[in-house]
Amino acid sequence: MVGATDAAACEGDFCEIPEHHQQAVVNRQLDADLV
Amino acid sequence: MSEPIKVDIWSDVQCPWCYIGKRKFEAGAAIFGDEVAVEYHSFELSPDTPVDFDGTPVDYLSQRKGIPVPQVEEMLARVTGIAKDVGLDYDYDHVHQTNTVISHELIHFAKSKGRQLEMKERLLKAYFVNGEHVGRIPDLVAIAVELGYDEAEVTEALESHRFLPDVKADVALAQEYGIQGVPFFVIDGKYGVSGAQEAEAFANVLAQVKSERAAV
Repeated sequence: MVGATDAAACEGDFCEIPEHHQQAVVNRQLDADLV
Repeated sequence: MSEPIKVDIWSDVQCPWCYIGKRKFEAGAAIFGDEVAVEYHSFELSPDTPVDFDGTPVDYLSQRKGIPVPQVEEMLARVTGIAKDVGLDYDYDHVHQTNTVISHELIHFAKSKGRQLEMKERLLKAYFVNGEHVGRIPDLVAIAVELGYDEAEVTEALESHRFLPDVKADVALAQEYGIQGVPFFVIDGKYGVSGAQEAEAFANVLAQVKSERAAV
């Protein structure tokens, strides 16, 4: 994988539109911790 | 002359980041300057959405995800602003939340005619900018006819769902690759790029592929 890891994308049926792109990274890390 | 770099893009017609990412990729490819061969692949973000969802995109997100309406409205305003920055006029007041599987079938139909990229752009514009319905066969046929396709041929293709296996094959391939978010770009079959990256990011990976080819 290349490119910025926090680039905005739609996952599942939800197109995440965070306040700041960095929040998307934090959200994904939190979700990963729950798995 | 070397072969163009192949770029496979998984994308959904109802994905706001996919349209924004399309523009950013196109800008990145322009910066790169050499020829690229783009192919879009189907990805269904929400395959269980009804064709005629009774409500707005705000209703859909707030009901489906339990997000308060004011927060959803703020999110949509934010993505609308980001779209504006790349020249796209999103009109969420008129978006028809729908099931996109038949729109993907139409994109595959257009691909069979060598006109996939044109149809992909037209359907994204239909959904986000024009407020057109992209989930019902008559609406999709009208869009295709506007582009010069034969009405009877398109109608038959969509009513018979002749291209549905192609849609599902794309979806299955995405699962096999572990693609969970869109837009997702596969560059030269080797590099995965997720999300609406900045144009420079796309230009850089294309340049990297080119230099690797030259080094071989």
